[in-house]
Amino acid sequence: MLMASVLVAGALAVPLWRIDLIAPQYPEGLGLLIRANTITGIKPQDLKSINGLNHYIGMAEIVPESIPELRYMPYILMAFAGAALLVAIRANRTAILSWLVAFGLLGVAGMADMYKWGYDYGHNLSPNAIIKVPGMSYQPPLIGSKKMLNFRAVSLPAAGGWMLGLAGGLAFAALMVGRRRGTVAALAVAAAAAACTPGPREIVLHQDACSYCRMTISDARFGGQVVMRTGKIETFDSVECLVSWRRTADTTAIAGTYVMDLEHPGTLVNAETAGFLRGATVASPMGGAMVAFATPAAAATKQSALGGTLATWDDLQREPTTQSGVGSP
Amino acid sequence: MSKVSTGRVLIGGAAVVAASLLVYACAGGSGGASVAAGDAAARVYVAPGSYDEFYAFMSGGFNGQIGVYGLPSGRRLKTIPVFSQYPENGYGYTEETKPLLNTSFGMIPWDDTHHPALSQTNGEDDGRWLFINGNNTPRVARIELTRMETEEIIEIPNAAGNHGSPFVTENTEYLVASTRFSVPVPNRDVPIGDFKKAFKGQISFVVANEPGKMRIAFQLVVPGFSYDLARSGKGPSHGWMFLSTYNTEQANSLLEVNASQNDKDYVAAVNWKAIESCAKAGKARPAAAEYMHNYMDEKSRVAKSERMTSVPQLTPADCPGSIYFMPTPKSPHGADVDPTGEYITAGGKLASVIPVHSFSKMTKAIEGKEFAGEIDGIPVLKYESTIAGEVTNPGLGPLHTQFDDKGFAYTSFFLSSEIVKWNVETREVVDRVPTYYSIGHLLVPGGGTSKPTGKYVVAMNKITKDRYLPTGPELTQSAQLYDITGDKMKLLLDFPTEGEPHYAQAILASKIKDRQVKFFTLAENTHPQVAKTEAAAGISRQGRAVHVKMTSIRSHFAPDNIEGVRLGDTVYFHVTNLEQDWDIPHGFAVMGNAQAAELLIMPGETRTLKWVPTKVGVHPFYCTDFCSALHQEMQGYIRVSAPGSAVALTATLSKPTTAPAPAGNK
Repeated sequence: MLMASVLVAGALAVPLWRIDLIAPQYPEGLGLLIRANTITGIKPQDLKSINGLNHYIGMAEIVPESIPELRYMPYILMAFAGAALLVAIRANRTAILSWLVAFGLLGVAGMADMYKWGYDYGHNLSPNAIIKVPGMSYQPPLIGSKKMLNFRAVSLPAAGGWMLGLAGGLAFAALMVGRRRGTVAALAVAAAAAACTPGPREIVLHQDACSYCRMTISDARFGGQVVMRTGKIETFDSVECLVSWRRTADTTAIAGTYVMDLEHPGTLVNAETAGFLRGATVASPMGGAMVAFATPAAAATKQSALGGTLATWDDLQREPTTQSGVGSP
Repeated sequence: MSKVSTGRVLIGGAAVVAASLLVYACAGGSGGASVAAGDAAARVYVAPGSYDEFYAFMSGGFNGQIGVYGLPSGRRLKTIPVFSQYPENGYGYTEETKPLLNTSFGMIPWDDTHHPALSQTNGEDDGRWLFINGNNTPRVARIELTRMETEEIIEIPNAAGNHGSPFVTENTEYLVASTRFSVPVPNRDVPIGDFKKAFKGQISFVVANEPGKMRIAFQLVVPGFSYDLARSGKGPSHGWMFLSTYNTEQANSLLEVNASQNDKDYVAAVNWKAIESCAKAGKARPAAAEYMHNYMDEKSRVAKSERMTSVPQLTPADCPGSIYFMPTPKSPHGADVDPTGEYITAGGKLASVIPVHSFSKMTKAIEGKEFAGEIDGIPVLKYESTIAGEVTNPGLGPLHTQFDDKGFAYTSFFLSSEIVKWNVETREVVDRVPTYYSIGHLLVPGGGTSKPTGKYVVAMNKITKDRYLPTGPELTQSAQLYDITGDKMKLLLDFPTEGEPHYAQAILASKIKDRQVKFFTLAENTHPQVAKTEAAAGISRQGRAVHVKMTSIRSHFAPDNIEGVRLGDTVYFHVTNLEQDWDIPHGFAVMGNAQAAELLIMPGETRTLKWVPTKVGVHPFYCTDFCSALHQEMQGYIRVSAPGSAVALTATLSKPTTAPAPAGNK
């Protein structure tokens, strides 16, 4: 419960929720962060840009100062953090349960409130709107993804949201300590969390282009894919390109990184558990001679035939990418 | 205990709900990696020394010029200055070209070019001329395509914002020029609040097929809407011009909202053949109007400017049957006619469908008087009576449509940043591709004519962002080339474009390539100050004006030493390029010239630089175009003396002499 208290207090400092608006003409991204006490853009000017876009469809301007909940929310969270601290000191099961139920109710109320605001913004459109599409409303999804005109809106918890969720989970675990069903419950929570990692999609040869070098991907033995938390997919024609791209990318926005398995062309494997050979005698598209295998063991097996040095995903992050045409000596 | 169990069930249930929400959250579609056809590089590669298949002429928007590009390579070949001064070659700075930029407002060195239009014969691009509008100060220019130079500009009176212009008729009988801003006609000092009472639109038809004689044949005064893009009828609909309109609300403030209230505005169908008959029958009145007509004399290559004082004007009431309104959703931008001439489509910027009107239904509706009302005596046809069908759920913000040779239409969508391909007969969407980013106009070579080609569509985008190496806050504009030979459009190429291209035209290179002028024939040069030989060069004084007739040939000017000029004089350098060889222009620039740029003189041509010296002293001049091995030696001096000086006026070129051997050379 002590941890829960710290997490709830910590959630005050970081965004609780994140809404990404994805459209072709915003390659740099656009979106909102909902914090306990205000709403801001993901980038400083995003809120202004979004209000500018919304005026076309007659949506009211989003003015954080006009949303009273944002004034109470920090105090409510502080109260819950304080209460969790008291419960931690008392360590009383009834107290834990009471806290948990109240916290759950807060979550439900918070979500309901967010839904209500989303509904109001999405439906109460000016009768003088410039663009009126019959039957169209613009309520963002409470959680998940929704296509609205040319935008796809993705609404997901941000760090603070996950921290609050985890706080609830920890309180739940505290309640279940010593009970067999606790294990089951913990597994259920873990499974639910795991279900959220967006998976890779198939790379379409001769169609998908490398997000780093912009060349079209034409060899299924090489390359990889990065899945962003927003669901956006970045594709790569070689592991070198992926590694180079990742150096300048916002890695906190990455949900998963996958690489092509040399032994099973077209199959994407999780980069973090994959094995790599550097300077192998296989010429990869960008000349870096960097190839991936499903496991480090598979890479080791192939080392005798292909040469090169063994590496893990972490090794690749630390060392500069080989860019010579002949690979490492 | 029971309390605890209930709590557990509640929490367990919440966990299940949360888990399913999370799974749902993950089901969102994937974002777009950029996608190009696998063999794209080969499809756009034009080998060294080989030529592109098409010339593309892209308007430069706010640079006031036209960019000439090759397709499919996207290579830029030339900038044709039209309404903007161009220091690179002296256009608009030389005495010969300055008159082209005269307007009734004075000499205006800039404009905003939007819509190039190739001349047509039997509804096909014929490659004789290219016309383009000046949007800001209403003008239309004619570019001669054998020289790719601007040779004629006519101002449009009673217009403001010449946006819906120029669109040519099937045999270039006329081009249309309509007004974007309705203004008081004639323009006078009235309160802006009197908009609905005093402000009028106009649709002008300009005689376009007589070089040097562009003139307004007749001007139709119409309700005070905003007239937007246009396209002439073809085949069965030849004789008609279709123009989109918006702000039929007639708002004069906050148009983005107040001009977006009507669910339908109109496509104006104008029967210009009927108006032509009415004008011939004396129904058009000469209305007082001040505007300029400027044109280049072909042999002397000197432009003249003439002030016009009247325009033949008539109203729809003077000529019944001359114009009808077809209701069209919502704030339409493009109005486009398919190659058969039967279908008229309009891109409603704010509409959720693409309406397709039928010309044959329209003529029947006019015969049957299927009118929904009347505006200032102009019949409004019933929507159901003219509409052939609607393309439903096409995308967001349709703007412009081009056609191919297989019965498909390609419509640009600004808001959803894509090109949507649809079947003209069935109105079914068959394909869509993203553009990068926010496409405006699009171009299929011949895509607005009776004979479209079916190889490429070019997207001209309004937003560039991350497509090229960044260059500070101001980025180049971006175009994309797509292959349209198959069922699916395929992205082939990104290429940067200069200015801000709006519409463009493209024509098979074979139609104009072999007619390109390589140089001007010196013997035919009738410029009043030409010097066809070095012997004819010289200097003369007329009061405070000094005229220097000068020649240039590799690698010297004649004369190259000029004396006797006094401060307070105005010097005119008339430089004739004596070369008669392909691609040997000479340049001419003089130090301290605050009034003009340089001269870039084509072989056989004479160009004049006006120079008002501001300092006593000796000033060099030199050739600016690397013409030969001794280009650096191609130079001269002009001596400027104090006012009242007695230095004789001379212009000399020394005879070749045998120089003494330099000291120390043994």
